[in-house]
Amino acid sequence: MAAAVDLSRVIFIVLREMRKPILAIVIVYSLSIAGMILMPGPVVDGKTQYLSIFHAFYFMTYTATTTGFGEIPFPYSNAQRFWAIVCLYISVITWFYAIGSIIRLVQNPFLAKALAEHDFSNKVARISGDFIIICGFGDTGSVLARGLSDARLTAVVIDSNEERIKALQLRDYKVPMPGLFADASVPKHLIEAGIRRADCKAIVSVTSNEETNLKISAMARILNPGIEVITKSKVEIWEETLATIGGKVHIIDPFKTYAQLLAFSIEQRYFYSFNNWLVGEKSTELEQPLSPPDNGLWIICGFGRMGQEIKRALNKQGLKTAIIDPQPISPDEEDVENFVLGLTTVRTLKLAGIEQAVGIVTGTDDDGQNVSILLNARSINPNIFTVVRQNSHENFAAFQAAKADMVMQPSLVAARRIMLLLKAPLLKPFFKYFLVNQDRADEMNKVISWVKACVGDKVPLLTSFDITQSNAKVLTRILENDSVQLGDLLKDPRDRTKSLDLVALVVKSGDENIFILPGSDYLVKENDQLLFCGTDLGYRLFLATVNNEYKLYHVRTGLRQPRSFFMQWYVRKMGREGL
Amino acid sequence: MNLEKVIFGFFIVLAMTLNFGFFLGEMDNPAHHNVYELFAVVVVNFMATGLKLGDRSQVGAVLLATSLVADLQLVVAVFYWTTAVHITTVGLTPDVMASIVALSGGALLANVVSVVILVADTLMSRL
Repeated sequence: MAAAVDLSRVIFIVLREMRKPILAIVIVYSLSIAGMILMPGPVVDGKTQYLSIFHAFYFMTYTATTTGFGEIPFPYSNAQRFWAIVCLYISVITWFYAIGSIIRLVQNPFLAKALAEHDFSNKVARISGDFIIICGFGDTGSVLARGLSDARLTAVVIDSNEERIKALQLRDYKVPMPGLFADASVPKHLIEAGIRRADCKAIVSVTSNEETNLKISAMARILNPGIEVITKSKVEIWEETLATIGGKVHIIDPFKTYAQLLAFSIEQRYFYSFNNWLVGEKSTELEQPLSPPDNGLWIICGFGRMGQEIKRALNKQGLKTAIIDPQPISPDEEDVENFVLGLTTVRTLKLAGIEQAVGIVTGTDDDGQNVSILLNARSINPNIFTVVRQNSHENFAAFQAAKADMVMQPSLVAARRIMLLLKAPLLKPFFKYFLVNQDRADEMNKVISWVKACVGDKVPLLTSFDITQSNAKVLTRILENDSVQLGDLLKDPRDRTKSLDLVALVVKSGDENIFILPGSDYLVKENDQLLFCGTDLGYRLFLATVNNEYKLYHVRTGLRQPRSFFMQWYVRKMGREGL
Repeated sequence: MNLEKVIFGFFIVLAMTLNFGFFLGEMDNPAHHNVYELFAVVVVNFMATGLKLGDRSQVGAVLLATSLVADLQLVVAVFYWTTAVHITTVGLTPDVMASIVALSGGALLANVVSVVILVADTLMSRL
């Protein structure tokens, strides 16, 4: 519907702009042709020849376009030549005028925008299957789009910066990612992006403007009450408003997420590397534990949003904190061992107690300052554990060279969090299971080595799978009157004595029952949600199994199901189950 | 080992080899093309088709289709032979023979496609 409205607008603009040039050409042509017909031609066989309408039109066609095929059907008389001169000048000028109008029309920004919108909604209409709307193609948006493309999930991108949309169009994604340069908080654009479609699963608003994010979220909720809304927020008052718009709403706060990650890493040494490995961070060594010191003084430089969140997380772990910030902090702030007023320098670092400190968090919003604090702190206390904030993706090389223990990039943290929400929502209960109890550290190590053995050096694939009619047609049909073990589904259909490179981490059955690391004797049910980690090949073979009745029969029974009527008859006659 | 695959593989390869034997020789020379060989080709092809009925997999469907193509070509060839020899009594003139061999050549191509699909499928699943 939206596309049709746009097209009529485009046609209207074109017609309106072309009205005068077309009129001018028609008048000039008709006058010229009339003149050519009336001009007496040469005398042949005692008769004065006149041009026919057809010949006059033919003559005008090549004259007006400056082609010039000559004088037909007879060499002209001087009277005709005189009129031909008049025709030539007038018509050529008129053509130039018309062509100029067309060029002006093409350059008209309104037309360009209307055409782009039309093109965009066409592309959106062509998307088949589930897709996601991303509003804002900044650092977070582009990391997210890359992640979605790797997971073969289509996204529609809207950004209010034309340069960003041009950048999007130059990327090589594995799936179509249509982009529109527009204000995403305008409902019309959201509708063009397909928000009302049933297969639009979620809207992610990650523009740099908090107010815009809120507006987009609210609009999205009104336009599609069932849609999952995911947004980034760093301001608490917005979060309250957002939480009350109803439906499924996720508010991603990169600082809170990271502070949590830090706290979990203190609790369990393998958590950080496992988490990073699962989200596909390439340089992660799974066997290498990262253990932020869990005893002693931490210095927090910069008490902004990140500083506050990290302080809260550290205090919860029973750690002492010292703060350095140019702004005085509220006297109500609890558990502050030491507060130093001023910019972070060697002097203030010493005042905060850098010599005895075990860890330092540099969380200012200035990348240059963060790196220099890191270097200063290391020069005084070389063994200190460093957590550093990297604000801009462009400074990647500098932060990599600085070799901090943990680098926190807000846009990346947010993008990964959103990615997991969309792709692997069951990862949260999975980690919760291990973190709720310190004693489960050994169990977690076992899982890590198991997963590692499965995936090897390949890139791990983390994916959710819902047992539904559309995903697993054959399996759901069999489940109607039979039971199927999860372990059988994870056998290699090519050789059922081996298992696939796929580990089922979590099964969610119904709304309540969540099984962490389900055993191979778990009986799957329709509408179960599974979270897998493994290799791409393993997952593809699994998909083949659950959609092919012969393969499914083979992995379950070890026998081969007879395929043809003849073999079915033979097997029945022999009284066997299969071949 | 999969018994069903052995049986089907046997028939489809036999259909191809017999057909090749019939096809071989000068195209319009009736002395080079044996009627009993054509009979055997038709029978074995029908068997192969029958063995594919009932398979609900994708590859099974394609194999059934190629078999049916071969059957169709061979049936037309047999019909033409019978008409020429027994009904119109034109006899096996070179142009009649050439048409019959051309039809069996088409069926041979369908047999080759079947065998290629069978081999490719087996290699893919490495059973």
